[in-house]
Amino acid sequence: MSNPVYRPNRRALLRGTAAAGAAALIGSLPARRLMAQDAPAKPAEIIVRAWGGSWVEALKKGVSDPFTAATGIQVRHDLTEDNEIQPKVWASVAQGRVPPIHINWDTTTNATKSALRGVTEDLSDLANLANTTDLAKPVGLDGYPIVNTYGYVYVLAYRPGAFPDGAPTSWKVLLDPKFKGRIALYNDGIGFHFPAQVAGGGNLEDIPGNMQPAWDFITQVKQQQPLLGEDPDFTAWFQNGEIDIACTISTNAREAKKNGVDLAWTVPEEGAKFDTDGLWIPKGLPENELYWAKEYINFAISQDAQQVWCDGLGLPGVVPGLTPPEDLVGDPSYPDTPEEMAHLIRISTKVQVENESEWFSKFKEIMQG
Amino acid sequence: MPNPSPEFRYPLHWRLMDAVERIADLVWPRRLSRHTGWLFIAPALLLVGLLVLGLIQIADASLRTLDTSTFLMSEDWSTENYRKALSSSTYLTVAWRSLSAAVLTTVLTLILAFPYAWALVRVKKAWIRKALLITLFLPFFIGQVVRAYGWLIILGNSGMVNEALSLVGVTPMRLLFNYGAVVFGLVQYMLPFAVLLLVPALTAIPEETETAAGSLGASWPRILWHVLLPMAKPGLIGAGLVVFTLTLTDFAVPAMLGGGGQDFIANAIYDQFFRTADQGLGSALALILVAAGSVLVGLVFMIFGAGTLAMGGRK
Amino acid sequence: MMSFSQKITVWSLVWFSIITLSLPTLVVLGASLTAGNMVAFPPQGLSLQWYEKIALARDLQQAFLRSLIVAGICTLVAVPVGTLAGLALSRFRLRFTTAIQVYLLLPFTVPLIGSGIGLMLVFGEWHVLGSLWPVGMACAVINLPFIIWSVSSSAVLLDPDLELAAQNCGAGRVQTFLHVTLPAVMPGVITGGLLMFILAMNEFLVSLLLTDARIVTLPVLIYNSIRSIITPDLAAVSVVFIAIALAAIWLLDKLVGLEIFLKSK
Repeated sequence: MSNPVYRPNRRALLRGTAAAGAAALIGSLPARRLMAQDAPAKPAEIIVRAWGGSWVEALKKGVSDPFTAATGIQVRHDLTEDNEIQPKVWASVAQGRVPPIHINWDTTTNATKSALRGVTEDLSDLANLANTTDLAKPVGLDGYPIVNTYGYVYVLAYRPGAFPDGAPTSWKVLLDPKFKGRIALYNDGIGFHFPAQVAGGGNLEDIPGNMQPAWDFITQVKQQQPLLGEDPDFTAWFQNGEIDIACTISTNAREAKKNGVDLAWTVPEEGAKFDTDGLWIPKGLPENELYWAKEYINFAISQDAQQVWCDGLGLPGVVPGLTPPEDLVGDPSYPDTPEEMAHLIRISTKVQVENESEWFSKFKEIMQG
Repeated sequence: MPNPSPEFRYPLHWRLMDAVERIADLVWPRRLSRHTGWLFIAPALLLVGLLVLGLIQIADASLRTLDTSTFLMSEDWSTENYRKALSSSTYLTVAWRSLSAAVLTTVLTLILAFPYAWALVRVKKAWIRKALLITLFLPFFIGQVVRAYGWLIILGNSGMVNEALSLVGVTPMRLLFNYGAVVFGLVQYMLPFAVLLLVPALTAIPEETETAAGSLGASWPRILWHVLLPMAKPGLIGAGLVVFTLTLTDFAVPAMLGGGGQDFIANAIYDQFFRTADQGLGSALALILVAAGSVLVGLVFMIFGAGTLAMGGRK
Repeated sequence: MMSFSQKITVWSLVWFSIITLSLPTLVVLGASLTAGNMVAFPPQGLSLQWYEKIALARDLQQAFLRSLIVAGICTLVAVPVGTLAGLALSRFRLRFTTAIQVYLLLPFTVPLIGSGIGLMLVFGEWHVLGSLWPVGMACAVINLPFIIWSVSSSAVLLDPDLELAAQNCGAGRVQTFLHVTLPAVMPGVITGGLLMFILAMNEFLVSLLLTDARIVTLPVLIYNSIRSIITPDLAAVSVVFIAIALAAIWLLDKLVGLEIFLKSK
């Protein structure tokens, strides 16, 4: 049994730093392989599922455009949400059809469901995996059905005007009567369950066995009449003065701030959920398209691609030696020191995948009551 | 080119029509005439059959449970998903909310749609009629997300309505993200459908009927109650059923204007299919909703009889 | 003639409807003119930059064309099928009418997610996903009750004696159908057809499951492109969409006259 609570330790990060030199030597773009005579026929285009807005802009700039420049293969982005592409991909594999996408940019949790279901191609032979940190390896799965590409934090985003005394220090601020009706959480509570466990006085080690403290805390939050929504809702609500606090992914908060919304974020003392996104390839592609899809992912975890892509996202990548974007130096949502990392909550994907639907329905039960 | 035959010939389209009639007689002989109704309805039955094929797939999935260690559906059938769906108090709350909102939305929509449709039919000035018609079609072109943003600007805490209220000294209040906001959003969304389905029914009522009743001394509420509404009954029931069923199965409006705490059944189905990947439970919920909706619709048809929607055929 | 109280009641309800129907549209129109990067109202400075952006966006234009094709297919399928069904239900005595009615209302009683998943599985099994016609067919199925009902409710305008009279005068069945029956229900057919076209143009949930990136339609493209902020180009797209629709309505008015919706011949 592996410990379900995984806080990335100093050793892992140090090992990452040591590998940085090697990465530089091997070079980011595997030009030799891309030019090889024996490479399978190039498809005219490959389709990569991505999130829209600044997410796809970052991918395009960091990975897709350079990939096209190096190989001549066009990259088309399918902006269907990760949740909504899932049944389409599963059905195509089950029905023996060619899947609608070549590469799925996905949350590690959703990707793991697909991996468990057996619809993912194995990626363990990607050359650039040698230069990645532990973060790239999916936890609890054999080999690399997914390659994680960066980590992200579900921060506590807030409107500075509502906090004249500085950033809130605890998730318990959600219970302050002053913020009644002015709180936003994700529809399924994603990102909030674990800090709620701590804020409710529970232990992370008890997840998933005993999450009563989390449910108690969430029940108290429900009394505060929180709004539930998705990222565009949060931005619109902050922009129009509907809410003061939200639990959201830092990238979206940063995007809103860049566009003029008065916003800041913090990681409270209880910690905040840290998770990863990754790339994977669905089964059922023609041999040559599979080859080039793998090359795309291989390139996506090269130093050059990671630097630009992750800069755009404002998130820490999986190759060592990346420089953080200027606005995020020392920012807790960009954990690049062991201390910052230790402060975050990371629960194994396996535990999440197996219990998520139960957590979601429990959260819904509280919120719909 | 002079016509080689000097004798009289029927115009081309007459001859063409005769040929068509002969073909019709061959393909569908007159002795089958009493079955012509079935011939007419068969294509629609087949087209909706596509949906039934899909429902069969969904019914199959509804009998399989999800194994979260492999994310595959079980090989063998069980009624576990139905048990789970029917025994959950959350789903009961959500189902009751969908149903009550559907009834409320239907009533409110018809109250607004009836005068609108009446104005469309009775107003004398052509440009007013056209403007009313165009106003009806405009909202279709604004996607739900963008439309929801529009509502935030209008009804938000610092939106137009609250700004206006504060001018007269009313403190800003939350108008969005509650049950009322969802019903309001649904009424706005359904109004064009209801009007368009009411218009033909009102067109069928001769204006003279109203005038005659008026000249006999009936007040307008009495004309409305005793003449207009009974004569428009088929249209009202038709429009009402459309609004009711569409509201009962809607998911976008509760998701956008409900602030996450006002889910309908369709939102729960969405969650199962897309958020937790439990197609079995999602399918079971979907089928329960279809069954409930169909039973209610069937009841309406039975209560209001074959006369509904001019149904029942000629004598 | 209308009494004063009737006038007040009717027109206050109608005005409430007009405002409710058009206010969000007007807000979106205003928001699309913003000079900023986010949808905002009142707009932060006036600019046509977002219109310029969508004018240059080829993917939007292609998606728009695809939506036109989907809507065209949907209308072509739904109009004959729905018209015949509407007539069958209103002009013929059928057995099991209640059951048929309930069956034909399935497109509305099945939630769109269920329809989408079901049709995706069916079309997937037939290996026809990846073209636009299944999307058009799907839009025809899920909106079919609209045209069936608009036709059958305008069929009340038709006096059955007219059909008999035509046949007494020697008109064949096809002739009677084309010259007597069909013209009488034409307002219903046109209203229903237009509604089918517009709804197919704007359908996103079922289309989301039946399209892929190569054949994405406009509403799906718009829905998907919203991630963390609602960019003003989406508002601009809506406005252009409305402008095109208004132009089409104007053309329709010039060609056949909008009156056809409201008046039988």
